[in-house]
Amino acid sequence: MKRTILGAMTVPLALVCSACVTIEPVQPWQRGDLARAEMAFEPDPVQAAYRRHVEFSKEAASGGATLSGGGCGCN
Amino acid sequence: MALALLCAVPPAMALQPGDAPPALSAPRLDGSELALATRRGQVVYVDFWASWCAPCLQAMPALDALQDRYGAEGFTVIGVNVDTERAAAVKMLERVAVDFDIVLDPQGVWPQAFALPAMPSGYLLDREGVVRFVKTGYRTKDLPLIEAAVQRELKRQPGG
Repeated sequence: MKRTILGAMTVPLALVCSACVTIEPVQPWQRGDLARAEMAFEPDPVQAAYRRHVEFSKEAASGGATLSGGGCGCN
Repeated sequence: MALALLCAVPPAMALQPGDAPPALSAPRLDGSELALATRRGQVVYVDFWASWCAPCLQAMPALDALQDRYGAEGFTVIGVNVDTERAAAVKMLERVAVDFDIVLDPQGVWPQAFALPAMPSGYLLDREGVVRFVKTGYRTKDLPLIEAAVQRELKRQPGG
């Protein structure tokens, strides 16, 4: 019984895995779309800087390991 | 699964010094065809670039200056643009004007034949069309390295 279940699971698993090997990696010369600004983790540098400022000096949620703002929002 | 892994297409080997690229040709911006073989007898630097590749744009004026300096001795540059959209290449060339030949290869035939490892990449071919020097990536400090390779190849006697 166990063998039957194992055998039944092996075939779909092999098929799923074989589907993965057909995925071709993006080549260096094909990265035009990935290089677009809207693909960046933080596409707008001004907004990103503002967000970092808020997280660091107002929320103390990120930034240096030892120093952070006190929450006054004054730095 | 093992069978599937065995059937997977292995990545092509990047061209190394001593290898020769296959016969390639591509259209220039004006539509005329440029075949790599027509440059046999010259030292050729094949530079792969794209509008989205910032270091490529740094390299292009420097390569243009190299062609100006060594063109009379038989050095020439071919810029292979790999943008999928022609307009992107044209727009970039308005910003970075160069005198060397530009060919458009939106299908990526040339980079595939060279098995390009990175962008930008440059291949210096000797007068027989054999790769003698490969440069992946570009920083300003790399220029003397490329220039030294060009000088070396220009001095090398055919078959030497």
